[in-house]
Amino acid sequence: MLGTIVNYVAWYVFMFISVMWLLIMLKNRHNHNNSGLNESWFPRVSVLIPAYNEERYLAKTVNSILSLNYPRKLLDIIIINDCSKDGTRRIAEGFRSSGVRVFNNRVNMGKAASLNRVLPLCRGELVACIDADSTAEPAVLKKMTGYFRNPKIAAVTPALKVENARNTLEKAQYAEYMLNILLRKMLALIDSVHVTPGVFSIYRKNVLLKLGGFDTDNLTEDMEIALRIHDAGYSIENNMNAISYTACPEKIGELYKQRVRWYRGGLQNAIKYRHMLFNRRYGNLGMFFLPFNLIIIIAIVAIFCILVLDTASNVLRNIFQFGLVRWDFLGMLPKEMSLSVIMDYIFNTPMVLWTVGTAVSLMLLYLSFRMNSERLHARRLSYFAYVFVFPFIYMVFWAAAVFYELTGKKRKW
Amino acid sequence: MGSSKQVKQLDTGMIITAFALSAIIFGAGVFVGYMMNREKLSAMETSISEIVSDIENFQLQFLSFDVLGENATCPLLESTLAAINKKSYETGNRLELGLSEMGGDASYVSTKLEYSRLLVSYWLLAEKLKAACETKVSTVIYFYAKDCSLCSDQAFVLTYMKNNYGSRLLVFALDADLGEPSVNTLKSYYNVTIYPSLIINGLKHEGLVSQQQLEDTLNLGVVVGG
Repeated sequence: MLGTIVNYVAWYVFMFISVMWLLIMLKNRHNHNNSGLNESWFPRVSVLIPAYNEERYLAKTVNSILSLNYPRKLLDIIIINDCSKDGTRRIAEGFRSSGVRVFNNRVNMGKAASLNRVLPLCRGELVACIDADSTAEPAVLKKMTGYFRNPKIAAVTPALKVENARNTLEKAQYAEYMLNILLRKMLALIDSVHVTPGVFSIYRKNVLLKLGGFDTDNLTEDMEIALRIHDAGYSIENNMNAISYTACPEKIGELYKQRVRWYRGGLQNAIKYRHMLFNRRYGNLGMFFLPFNLIIIIAIVAIFCILVLDTASNVLRNIFQFGLVRWDFLGMLPKEMSLSVIMDYIFNTPMVLWTVGTAVSLMLLYLSFRMNSERLHARRLSYFAYVFVFPFIYMVFWAAAVFYELTGKKRKW
Repeated sequence: MGSSKQVKQLDTGMIITAFALSAIIFGAGVFVGYMMNREKLSAMETSISEIVSDIENFQLQFLSFDVLGENATCPLLESTLAAINKKSYETGNRLELGLSEMGGDASYVSTKLEYSRLLVSYWLLAEKLKAACETKVSTVIYFYAKDCSLCSDQAFVLTYMKNNYGSRLLVFALDADLGEPSVNTLKSYYNVTIYPSLIINGLKHEGLVSQQQLEDTLNLGVVVGG
């Protein structure tokens, strides 16, 4: 009975999110893109590249910034070497001849403090931040700076894609990031962008300075600053056509660490910005998106607990029952399977609902790929892994994150 | 620059529309599921009426027993019983497993009542056949109820037995909560008050019976019956 209710509630929440997306998309079908496009107005932009032990990727990242399609004299490129133990410093200083400024931290300060340290020294009125394991397409700046003509906009985010997805896990994340590109655009359209990823998000420098820079004591400082920007009454825009590329975890253990950190950061910030919940001042973000997210997190954890308890009690019951038939597992297999019994078992109401749900999620995935002019390869197993397996994996990650926060396990980066 | 006093726009209409639309899709899905269950139920009713006519046929064949004698009638009766057994077992499974989400639906309950009546008359005929033809089959009446923590375990054991003994074992699973008069008659005849209860070849066993106990009792029963 409880299982049935959980099933229906989970379905309803999923369907609501999907319908909401489609409605936003429908309402804004004429203005998805391009309002950020900018061919005439070239503000000076500082590009900050914080690097800690990034000798493998740093050169690639800096080169992608050097080849941006933007007047070079208006680009102020800064590498902050956060006391790396490897060859990062040597590689960074090699770029000095290309006009890149390099700051070497005496002690390891962390990413947020590194960015804060150079913020007052930036020459640009806009500040772009890019992690040293990411790159951006040459046109990315031109596609994003235009939004800043509106003084209410304090930050603009690009579309994030996974670079070099090789194994199934990476390809599944590729699909996930594609879906997120669409999601971020939807969120921008309802003025609820709650995270400005460190993969070429651009900020208005004087707003950053006014707000006191990034939070140095936060697991997800890119979410914290986004919420702080909203808190101060500004808005965040997104251009889903401005592409930046990032590496993603290739092993499940790394993905677990990454997501638990993100989710714990999310919880930390939900508590820090709880005054925004159900607060009309923050519009859709305060009245809808943040409370809804919180409900979903509670639902995910509740469903996880119910599933675990249910499975555990079923397993115990089955052990007991097989004991009653002297562990004759083969004997439990029916001698003949009647097709009609199987059909009866398969065709029921949850089955109908989840077939509709699967169709809708595949449609959203298809739309995400289409809107990025990419093809969704129907035979890619990884996409199905994303649709069918990842929800359960993420449920475990969420439960772990909530558990760690409740038990007060030490937060670490 | 942005004023922190300004209230941002809220898309209430869109949020309500999304709630309503997903409720409509939900309703449509539930409706399709409901129609599918009606379809399954009407298939059940068809197979129940088939079994009922098989049982009538069986009764007719029994009438020839006195005239044509044991040798001519018994093989015929046994094959009819085997046919009824197979259909009835499958129908019972489909009613319990495939339509469990129908719960208290009136037409589902009435189909279950019909099926229980069928099982009772089927059991009576099987007992008569055992006495008349010395047929080596064992009968187990299984009384179950909603408020019964061990019933799923008993059902597990009986499914195992049925899988492995096939037509040599006839299981009659009766829902004691339904209030079907013929089931109530059997209940009071055997004085069944505890669930699960099994009537194995006419003898009552209260509480959970394992595979081992069931096999021991059944062998005994076959010997007594033979």
